[in-house]
Amino acid sequence: MPKKKKKFRTLLTVITAIAVMTGCAGNTANQNTPVANQNTPAANENTTAAVVETPVETKKEPLKIAMMAGLQTPDVPDPTIEKMVEEATNTELDIQWVPTASYDEKLNASFATGTLPQATYVGLPSLISLRNAIRNNQFWEIGPLLKDYPNLSKLKPEVLRNTSVDGKIYALYQERPLSRQGFIYRKDWADKLGLQAPTTTEEFFTMLEKFTKEDPDGNGKHDTIGLADRSDLIYGAFKTVSSWFGTPNNWAVQDGKLVPEFMTPEYMETMNFFKRTYDAGYMNKDFPVTEKQAQHNMIISGKAGVYVGSLGDVGSLHQKIAEPNPNALLDVHSKVAAPGKEYGIWAIPGFAAVVLFPKSAVKTEEELKEILAFYDKLMSPELANLTRWGIEGKHYTVEDGKVLPSEDRAMFEREVKPYISLQIGGISIIEGFLDAKRPIPSAAKAEELIQDNNNYLIHDPTPALDSATFTQDGARLQELIKDATYKYMLGNIDEAGFKAAVDQWLKQGGQKIIDELSSSYAAAQ
Amino acid sequence: MPDTAVGSAMVINAKLRSVLMRKLIKNRALYMMIVPGLLFFVIFKYIPMGGLVIAFQDYQPYTGILNSPWVGLKHFERLFSEPMFFTILSNTLLLFFLNLLFYFPVPIILALMLNEVRINAFKRIVQTVVYIPHFMSWVIIVSISFVVLSMDRGIINELLVMMGLEKINFLMSTEWFRPIYVLQIIWREAGWGTIIYLAAMAAIDPGLYEAARIDGASRMRQIWHITLPSIRSVIVVLVILKIGDVLELGFEHIYLLLNSMNREVAEIFDTYVYTAGLRQGQFSYSTAVGFFKSVVGLILVMSANWLSKKAGEEGIY
Repeated sequence: MPKKKKKFRTLLTVITAIAVMTGCAGNTANQNTPVANQNTPAANENTTAAVVETPVETKKEPLKIAMMAGLQTPDVPDPTIEKMVEEATNTELDIQWVPTASYDEKLNASFATGTLPQATYVGLPSLISLRNAIRNNQFWEIGPLLKDYPNLSKLKPEVLRNTSVDGKIYALYQERPLSRQGFIYRKDWADKLGLQAPTTTEEFFTMLEKFTKEDPDGNGKHDTIGLADRSDLIYGAFKTVSSWFGTPNNWAVQDGKLVPEFMTPEYMETMNFFKRTYDAGYMNKDFPVTEKQAQHNMIISGKAGVYVGSLGDVGSLHQKIAEPNPNALLDVHSKVAAPGKEYGIWAIPGFAAVVLFPKSAVKTEEELKEILAFYDKLMSPELANLTRWGIEGKHYTVEDGKVLPSEDRAMFEREVKPYISLQIGGISIIEGFLDAKRPIPSAAKAEELIQDNNNYLIHDPTPALDSATFTQDGARLQELIKDATYKYMLGNIDEAGFKAAVDQWLKQGGQKIIDELSSSYAAAQ
Repeated sequence: MPDTAVGSAMVINAKLRSVLMRKLIKNRALYMMIVPGLLFFVIFKYIPMGGLVIAFQDYQPYTGILNSPWVGLKHFERLFSEPMFFTILSNTLLLFFLNLLFYFPVPIILALMLNEVRINAFKRIVQTVVYIPHFMSWVIIVSISFVVLSMDRGIINELLVMMGLEKINFLMSTEWFRPIYVLQIIWREAGWGTIIYLAAMAAIDPGLYEAARIDGASRMRQIWHITLPSIRSVIVVLVILKIGDVLELGFEHIYLLLNSMNREVAEIFDTYVYTAGLRQGQFSYSTAVGFFKSVVGLILVMSANWLSKKAGEEGIY
């Protein structure tokens, strides 16, 4: 009996101990986020104090601006730069950093509960789904006001038009290069195997084949592959390769009607190209479930030799590959075209994200004007350089009028990089905005290729067009096509199966989208 | 006549009420103690249910619940006519039954085995080791399985190749999704699930075992005739509670395993609500889907409870 009792007591102890453990674990996990979030407000309070104490006390009260922006780094940034921006603009910023991966969800949730901040950053897909709300007068129209601001008035009308709804402008935009697409490859492997930079898709295929079969790293083992791809049909390899085959950028205009890219023969050719590469084993077998980090690691560890996507990635890949493979040499290239096709490359609509001003948070036009004045100042060369490059002497030095970023990438990521997502405008319109000096030859070449891409752009005709069905169901319907595309490339369905998926798309609302976009297109002409 | 009947009923009612009142007053301290619990349920469970009305509206955040137009059953009609509807419903139910069939017995067997261990130190070490996975998040467990099951140098596929077999695409196949799902649940939760059973077993009167031993019952006999019958009611209650969780298949877990290649077997109501509701902002429609899901769960719990009462066990209500 006593023994039993003792056993029961131990058991109870174990249960209690575990309960306490879970309790604590739960608590810490929960507390993590609020603490991280509170970082910024706390920092803000400090700043206000600093601002108030400075001799410029005669100035009026700093303007409080709450904003929500995407965070591209793992941690909330150090507030030094935020403080400097606040001092320069006499504002008190309350920035809510949301990781980019979950940004759209957060945006929808905030919108649903009416808690969007005064300045809300929005990417293109969400901008389309917010169109109804914009039409319903939920956001301030800013088009007529822009001319009063020296810097904001320089925003390009053609890009602003791409952000417009029913011809009215509601948003400030963040400029990005129109097309950063191309590919990065192991130059040392190519040299060893006697390969030139490919100019046709067939030569590109040969490069993938030889990188897989002919032991480019010379270790006598069959342990390399050609292409490293990830689970992203847009910023991964797929869309860029599709441009090489001449596929339109999301939509094509044929005889005054809109045609989705996946109904064109070029899209089918692109899928066939990937199917061939996949079946031959010249790319990673798990690409439909591979994350960006794992994809980068395949290049860094010398497992794969070709990376199709943003050319700008060569900078960080170059730095990281040096450690495991000191002899590795990366090079970049862009112009590839299918036999009989001209080189072309898909472009973004000229902006990465926009800033909207919800009426629920910005109560009066006076307040709106003050916030716009803040953004006007943010577009000044001094603040543009501060938010892009950091503090001169600490984060960068200037050489020949160009920025030479500090060697300490970690410090840059921690203190400067997140603020890039606050920027408005960009290098093409801000005079005095410094360009980077790129000491790494491949990164400098990547920059040239990105510039050169501007001569070969394939534009998406739809951002300024409107379709109610697309706004409501476009994203969900796109999933059908995405699934079918992967299944086709992996051989789970054949051409008939893909056509069936397209028919499903048409039946479930795709036909309506085509009709609505076509009439919107006709009306715009 | 009817008047007097009603009258006497009222008298009895009044009498009952006064007895009730007296009891309430007498035990007020005890009743006060349930107030926080009640408040919790009212505030966090009942009041939010009011939000369900948006399933019958075309809810737009800027017009709010009060001003959004009523559309009746429009969103339910859309759900039932959705081509994916039957796939989602059958996936949800099938995963639940697999879960019940394969996962549920494991903690019982594990608890029986642990209960038979006589060396205390060993028993405690084993217990701790089997509890640990419960504290890992699904992100970690799924990531580990990705590394192990990958086609690109995953250890399992490398072993298959070494044995001269074909590689298997575990992560992107419709056949392997369900086994992987159930195995991951067993690995994570089986140890944790033993706690309640072990507690129930510790409460069994040792006299019963003594008597059985004197009658010459073997270990297996003792388990079969004493341990299992003694924890039967616990098992039944847990089965019913488990059925109540039919809808909690683990959104996070499935969402992490879900990809374009296995969507037809892996999409469940939770993931569907997430994509339609949060990612695409269709608040009314996803509320309708969630509402329907809850109705399915309620029906299952009630039938399980009814069945258990039929079988002579106590239900949960």
